[in-house]
Amino acid sequence: MPNKTGLVFFPAFDWAITPTHPEREERLLYTRDQLFEEGIMDLPEVVEYKPRLATYKDIARVHFCVPDIKAQVTEAHLIAAGGALVLADALMKKEIDNGFALVRPPGHHSMRVVHGNRGFCNIHNEAIMIEYLRKHYGLKKIAIVDTDVHHGDGTQDVYWHDPDVLFISFHQDGRTLYPGSGFADELGGPTAFGTTINIPLLPHTTDEGIHYVLDNLVLPILEDFQPDLIVNSAGQDNHYTDPLANMRFTAHGYALLNEKLKPDLAVLEGGYAIETALPYVNTGIILAMAGLDYSCVREPDYRPENFKESPEHMDYIKDLIAYLHEVWKNREALAEQRQRRTGGYYERRRTVYYDTDNIREQQEEKVKLCAKCPGYQVIRSRGLYPTRTERTVLAVALPWQACSECQEEARSVYQEYINNPRGLDFVYLQDKPRDTYLQYSVSGRSEMQL
Amino acid sequence: MLIGLDVGGTYTDAVLIDHGEVIEKIKIPTKPEGLLESLLSALDPLLQAAGGREIQRIVLSTTLITNLIATNTVDPVALVLIPGPGLNPGSYKFKATQSYILSGAIDYRGREIEPLKENEIKACLEAIKKEGIKRVAIVGKFSQRNNSHEQAVASYFASHAPELQIIMGHQVTGRLNFPRRAVTTLLTLATREKFENFYKQVLQVLKERGITAPLYILKADGGTLPFTQSLTKPVETIFSGPAASTLGVLALTPKGQTSVVLDIGGTTTDLALILSGKPLLASRGAKINNDYTQVRAFATKSVALGGDSILCVKNNSLEILPQREGPAYCLGGPQPTPTDAMRVAALTEIGDERRAYECMKRLGADLNLSPKETADLVLKQMVKKIAQEIDDMFLSWEQEPAYRIWEILQKQKIRPQNVVGIGGAAPAVLPLLGEEMGCRALAPPHAEVANAIGAALAKVNLRLSFHFDTERNFYFIEENGVQEKLPIPILSEDQAKDFCFTRLRQEGQKLGISSDEELELVYSEVFNMVRGWRTTGKLYDICVQFPTGIMENWLEERKDQCAE
Repeated sequence: MPNKTGLVFFPAFDWAITPTHPEREERLLYTRDQLFEEGIMDLPEVVEYKPRLATYKDIARVHFCVPDIKAQVTEAHLIAAGGALVLADALMKKEIDNGFALVRPPGHHSMRVVHGNRGFCNIHNEAIMIEYLRKHYGLKKIAIVDTDVHHGDGTQDVYWHDPDVLFISFHQDGRTLYPGSGFADELGGPTAFGTTINIPLLPHTTDEGIHYVLDNLVLPILEDFQPDLIVNSAGQDNHYTDPLANMRFTAHGYALLNEKLKPDLAVLEGGYAIETALPYVNTGIILAMAGLDYSCVREPDYRPENFKESPEHMDYIKDLIAYLHEVWKNREALAEQRQRRTGGYYERRRTVYYDTDNIREQQEEKVKLCAKCPGYQVIRSRGLYPTRTERTVLAVALPWQACSECQEEARSVYQEYINNPRGLDFVYLQDKPRDTYLQYSVSGRSEMQL
Repeated sequence: MLIGLDVGGTYTDAVLIDHGEVIEKIKIPTKPEGLLESLLSALDPLLQAAGGREIQRIVLSTTLITNLIATNTVDPVALVLIPGPGLNPGSYKFKATQSYILSGAIDYRGREIEPLKENEIKACLEAIKKEGIKRVAIVGKFSQRNNSHEQAVASYFASHAPELQIIMGHQVTGRLNFPRRAVTTLLTLATREKFENFYKQVLQVLKERGITAPLYILKADGGTLPFTQSLTKPVETIFSGPAASTLGVLALTPKGQTSVVLDIGGTTTDLALILSGKPLLASRGAKINNDYTQVRAFATKSVALGGDSILCVKNNSLEILPQREGPAYCLGGPQPTPTDAMRVAALTEIGDERRAYECMKRLGADLNLSPKETADLVLKQMVKKIAQEIDDMFLSWEQEPAYRIWEILQKQKIRPQNVVGIGGAAPAVLPLLGEEMGCRALAPPHAEVANAIGAALAKVNLRLSFHFDTERNFYFIEENGVQEKLPIPILSEDQAKDFCFTRLRQEGQKLGISSDEELELVYSEVFNMVRGWRTTGKLYDICVQFPTGIMENWLEERKDQCAE
């Protein structure tokens, strides 16, 4: 029986951030022309699915939206996230062997707290899909490989404290590209140390360099982690013609990557060379996922010899890989050395910038360090908006794995803040063990439940 | 007076219509000798009934193309592909006599990204000549956006081998889908000559009968075309039979409603959908002989369940098998069938009642049921199965991919108001089916010749899908292969629409479509082309049409009869 690859194609031809923004109606137009002209949807190996609308509850499993979900998402967002959910269902029902949600708007820069749009993203399509799969199909260990040129800082934030989700991102390094993060020493919180792996690459890294990273670091770590599901956060802006970044990856490189990585589900992220890259990269990825020959997919000016790595780059890559291998191998011991892992709380403070909406966010995060489970987190977030207004929220995140003491404690923390909400506009409880999501409005003195 | 003729696989049906009324109807078994004989046997009695009064037009629906393809008596064709980057062209399995692949590539905007190689073209022609093939189809990827490669190869072939019949992909269809374009182009050329022969024969016999009425042919999308115009794309006349039936139902049921067209035959039950008065089309084109094509056709579904399906009991439960072994038991056949059950349930008067009882009794023995109870069970199961298939058909329509937010939000759950039965066994189970589905069961008068009525009344339709690229200053029409520089600058969507409507009227006139026929905008989309944060041009995709439908005067005249 041939491989079956599920495909949701949702180009959102009637949605844009602004008419000339890279994230505009035209983005997947030439991709559509190429895919349709190829007759991709007629292939016996490809099953096309229609996206559905994700529900607010699907979103609340991942995000704390300020002031509420409705204010942060449009119908296009619900359909993009819903497209990923349709494929997740099809995969679990074994209708397909793998699936690619070719959807926009993208999501991998969306963090848990959402005050607005950053990096063209409002809500996180992959995280919504993963939390849905964990809830409805009981999946436990998930690996996300981010192949977008930008650091997937949203994914990193969502899974920073989750030891069961391995997040690996390779990207153009944060010194030369948005969002300015994703350095090799960002390795996860104290309860999930080492399950975040960042591989910052130098500008102009080519097929050869990226595949070296894949073969010698990403694939061995995946093999070691043994996930139930592999997700490709499938950005396409490592391409050599992308206008917003400086890498030298090709359509062939992307196709080969997917052939090796064998993602169960891939979800489109960035990629803004809408004419010179996307039609070819997407065709290549689909053919590779469907187990078909992609050797004839090539950009008009593609010459393989132009995508060899310089010796300096290779030295840098090898050195980086050696370091991350050590970290991965010794992650338990390193975690102990670096930070107390049980008893009391771990705290961190940071600021988050929302480039699209020009919002600054100040965050204080407190993690319960529990000997039995990954604990729970309390986030206090203050959003400073360009209108010179601000909102402060407090969010309690209770993960699937939380032990019964942590569950009770987290719920009572939420209660305490509701009883004494001084300085707060909203209080949230993301209660995954109960799959219940609460939001308390201080001014309205009302609680909403999803 | 109007004449509609449908020469089907089993029956040939014909009607004569005058002022909204069926004057004469004919149903005869199709003659094995040929289409022409069947056509004449049905036509002659109608001409007699017309008694010399003026016949305005004759519309013909035939299985000619279907038969040619099914029996593989199409003409040999060499297929020359210019695929460019993408799928490995070695993986294509087109049913051409010989296939050849040439270098060269055009991209989605119609820009040349790789030139042709003259030595390859030369070698290709030599190979074709060596094989002795006389017909060549040349199809390039994205040739609908730039046909220069197809043209260059064709003109080289024509000048070096003038005896060849050559067709180019962009002339046949411009819809995006290169493999389907290749198949459709191939079939067009492979059937063209035989179709033309048939055409000449029909003209000849009409001439002998002194008929001067214009002759039209019905297409798979339910539109008619002057016979002469159909010569260029004969393959569009495939599956006109189901289209005729659906149009017939459209003519015989109240306007604007949502109906299921149900045709229960001996071996199969055929289904089609009419959504708010519009027959549903197969979304990307018809599947012919297991190949996907770009032939616009109604979405039909054939279920292996008919009046002659075999009944049996397996593991203490009744089963309706998908095959047929002959007529019903009550008609002297070997096995119990739904037709026998209908007889016992007193829903029909076909066949020997005693034999029907006998076989139901035998069937029911293992189930501890009386013959009557057995028959009821058979019918219940049959109706359930058909209702399920209808439901699935609506479901797959709902699940058809959509690429815009509004389309996804707008597509609501729709279920039929009517289930309309045509064909032999339909009237018997209709009431039960209506009950099962919670909708009205209709068996309209003349239902047995609904197909011929549909043919007689079908309007000439015409669809033109435009693609404007204002940056390249070009426009393209999918249906007729037009690729031209824009004669006037297109500055707005309204201007583009006007341009399309004007063009549609001009093309419509050539087909004899009256200028007061209603025009329809199918879709209109605008994309800003932005390069470096500046808008450098616009892409417009606009589709306009004279829609498929039933002649207005019929509807007017039948208003009273259709009143609910």
